Amino acid sequence: MRSDIGSKTAIVGIGRAIAQKTDEKKTPLQLGAVAAVAAMKQAGIKRSQVGALFTGRAPQAYMMLQYNQALLNELKIGPTFNSEVTPHGAGALGTLQLASLALHAGVIDYALCVTNEASGLWMDQVGSNVGWEGDLQFEAPYGCTTPALYAQFACRYMHEYGITPEQCARVSVENRRWALDHPHAAMRHKGPITVEDVLNSRMIASPLRMLDCAVWYPGGIATAMVVTRADLAKAKHQEATWIAGFGQCTTHEWVGERMGGFGYAPMEDGPDLVNTGALVAAKQAYEMSGLKPGDIDIVQTSAPFSFVHLMMLEELGFCGRGEGGDFVASGGIDYDGGLPFNTMGGYLSFGQVAQGLYNLHETVDQIHGRAEGRKVADVEIGMVHGHGGPLAAHSVMIVSKEPLQ
Amino acid sequence: MSNAATPADWANGLHLTAGPYFLGLYQPSPETKDFWAGVELRELLLKFCAESGNWLHPKRIVCPDCGSDKLEMRRASGRGKVYSFSEVHRAASPAFAKSAPYVIGVVRLEEGVHLFTRIIPGSAPVKIDAPVQVDFRVLELGQLLPVFVVAA
Repeated sequence: MRSDIGSKTAIVGIGRAIAQKTDEKKTPLQLGAVAAVAAMKQAGIKRSQVGALFTGRAPQAYMMLQYNQALLNELKIGPTFNSEVTPHGAGALGTLQLASLALHAGVIDYALCVTNEASGLWMDQVGSNVGWEGDLQFEAPYGCTTPALYAQFACRYMHEYGITPEQCARVSVENRRWALDHPHAAMRHKGPITVEDVLNSRMIASPLRMLDCAVWYPGGIATAMVVTRADLAKAKHQEATWIAGFGQCTTHEWVGERMGGFGYAPMEDGPDLVNTGALVAAKQAYEMSGLKPGDIDIVQTSAPFSFVHLMMLEELGFCGRGEGGDFVASGGIDYDGGLPFNTMGGYLSFGQVAQGLYNLHETVDQIHGRAEGRKVADVEIGMVHGHGGPLAAHSVMIVSKEPLQ
Repeated sequence: MSNAATPADWANGLHLTAGPYFLGLYQPSPETKDFWAGVELRELLLKFCAESGNWLHPKRIVCPDCGSDKLEMRRASGRGKVYSFSEVHRAASPAFAKSAPYVIGVVRLEEGVHLFTRIIPGSAPVKIDAPVQVDFRVLELGQLLPVFVVAA
């Protein structure tokens, strides 16, 4: 099954709203509305032209049924197709995937995609998150934490492939270097760190130490994008970023229950804690775009712990299975000369907003030479990975400066 | 979560609260009440599909192989091996802090079913493939839960 949708749709407008903890407190809805209006303005479209509104999962700090309709209600738009795209962190990119499908099917001309989270302003994310990540009957009563759930994957991954804590720590070090250049990164004032700093930081849930873990973004970010078809993008818009390929795969909801999975990719022969849906999603995205890993100039990944970056580098195709540790240790993602990887600092040092399109925003900015942090030269093609925990839902999207087919 | 010494009444759902605010009803779970009744009797029960011969996680409603919803509860051996584990140093909440560090992990039972659980170092340390045996203990939230003790 091969899709002909690659490069048939493009992003033609982006808007963003940020509130830091030190600013006046804002709700996700406030941020989302401001970002959406900015995206429509940049694209040069009117409210009446929005054919579809796709939003990510309802924000943790604004839980309501039909959040999408609260936003639609605020914007005073009347889309003919609207929905929340639920696979948590993967649903952010999922909004653009659904937009592309609707546009390619010819049922709309413009889609507005919005993600907005402000959990960092309103919630104790460390304390509350296990309520979202762990099964309330079979996991939470044992005292599980979000790091301890991911640590189950780390335990097996390191065991099966001989990955070392030192190799994982290199990811934290390189993420931090990018973050120091970015005006909005959570850890930009904290200075550089070394492998030793990571290995000496406090144990959280073995084998994960404090500096192996993502920092929750101390604020809220909303990102909105306007997506349209190739003919409209070429005829009516000055700037377009082409959606060359995408894929998505969700394998489970809870870690313990993932281990009851079998008979579907990537667990055809039975369950494990090393092969994730990113493998399947990346394969779809490469096939759709006609590209291979060597064609990618820049990569952003949604990885809340250092070891997850190594797994993702493997599953996204940048090194072989089990080679992520060696790849990183030998300079594969070095700030100087490596694959430009998490160019805002990643979840570990830019910070993790519960979900969002900010990684795709960064990639689009890099492609058009206007990144807010360190600029990467000559970016033609970027890959973005989005994920919802615990390593349950994955999306991959490849975007390009020019249409590829 | 309930702090009562009796098991949560999953068949009728749990009231979720945040301070004084009622957040909603955690989904009732009639499909697991027999599992928790077994725990009260200190028996580890799993779902079993007589149609396909599959042992299944206690939450299963339908057999993924044959689609049968006529799953029965069967007593498991209680023996297994450590599949993965993590020693938790930063506890989930103040209720768990006094126990930290404690080990949680995934155990692969002889029947092939994996359970997320508390793993207790017995006469041997916790490591991958270490043999474990089920036990039943009242953990920090006051609930009686199946746990696994590392066997010699």
